[in-house]
Amino acid sequence: MHQFKVHRIGPEIEISGFDLSFTNSSLFMVISAILIMLLLLFGTREKRLIPSKIQLMSEILYNFISKMISDTAGKKAKPYFSFVFSLFIFILFCNMVGMLPYSFTVTSHIIVTLTFAIFIFIGVTILGFIIHGFKYLKIFVPSGVPMVLLPIISIIEIISYLSRPISLSVRLFANMMAGHTMLKVFGGFVISLGIIGGWLPLTFSVALTGLEILVAFLQAYVFAILTCIYLNDALNLHH
Amino acid sequence: MKKLTIVLIISTFYCGNIFAAEAGMPQLDPKYWASQAFWLIIIFSTIYLLIDKVFIPKIKGNIDTRENKIRKDLEEAKIFREEAEKKLIIYKKLIQTASQESKKIVSDSSQKLNEDIQNKKNEIQNQIDKELKSAENEIMKFKKDSFDKVGKISEDIVTEVIKDIFGEDGNKSKISATVNEILKKENVKV
Repeated sequence: MHQFKVHRIGPEIEISGFDLSFTNSSLFMVISAILIMLLLLFGTREKRLIPSKIQLMSEILYNFISKMISDTAGKKAKPYFSFVFSLFIFILFCNMVGMLPYSFTVTSHIIVTLTFAIFIFIGVTILGFIIHGFKYLKIFVPSGVPMVLLPIISIIEIISYLSRPISLSVRLFANMMAGHTMLKVFGGFVISLGIIGGWLPLTFSVALTGLEILVAFLQAYVFAILTCIYLNDALNLHH
Repeated sequence: MKKLTIVLIISTFYCGNIFAAEAGMPQLDPKYWASQAFWLIIIFSTIYLLIDKVFIPKIKGNIDTRENKIRKDLEEAKIFREEAEKKLIIYKKLIQTASQESKKIVSDSSQKLNEDIQNKKNEIQNQIDKELKSAENEIMKFKKDSFDKVGKISEDIVTEVIKDIFGEDGNKSKISATVNEILKKENVKV
């Protein structure tokens, strides 16, 4: 599992007992960020009426996220557009950069996805309380449920609400890690079976690489759309 | 087939040994958790701020400009089309009136031409009639004159003949009456 190892690059930085050194994980975050900036920079450099290819890409991305937000969270979620856009594009680029050989997949680390998920969870909860006050607790009391079942349902709802950050983070992390591990295993088979038997796992490897690219996109999309759904719960309380 | 299976099993063990050497999940090692979270927050915040303040307004502006331009162009095109349709109607009307007028002019001019031709014809006919009449008159006059002359000559000849035969002048009035009578008879015959 060498590909998931984090190691320090450059000097050791320690602030109040925490080791905050620049690592290869940070390096690949920076690389992803630079790639995003380059795409958006070239995508918005020209203001052509008939867009160039790269301009079209940024506009398609914009329209894609815009449609996703308006479909799932409605018009009230407009102020959070930039956040969802950044989230989607950052996770997408981290996943895609991770697909390159010898690179590091930032999102295959639970701490990264958990940071995102906890931030979203706390943010959405605060937002819900700011907008609806204590009525936001109604989210745990679905309407139209018989009184007898209400305590059980409420408990289930509370558990499901609290497990949101875990499910959100583990989904992305496990998908990325499992995909890369599988690629690694099949790659190992290719080497060990040699030139005679290695073709079958190699074929699998190629197919899996395609699948992994799909998963990389899909998981970024799922992460973004779940964020939208949580935002929708906080913005439009209709349970 | 059996060989392949054996190779597969052996290789699996071999690979298992390779993986065993680096077993364990580095993800669960908390040594660099703080660092990863820290750098993630810094880098993601930077991206978020840049996207929110710079890129999203730019892309949005671009898309809005295009939509406005398209809407404006469509509206303009609509106005132009309406104008064109109006002009077409006016043009058609113009053509209609023009064709009517031209028909009228053609019919008028042909009528006038006919009238003119008729007038000229009449005039010429009148003139011809007049000339004919005068010619006839002249002919009549000539005829009369010639008759008169013939009468006189006949009278003279008769007088001369009578003189030659009888040796004396005949009754002049009687001769002229007889000659006239004969001439009249001849004239009727002619």
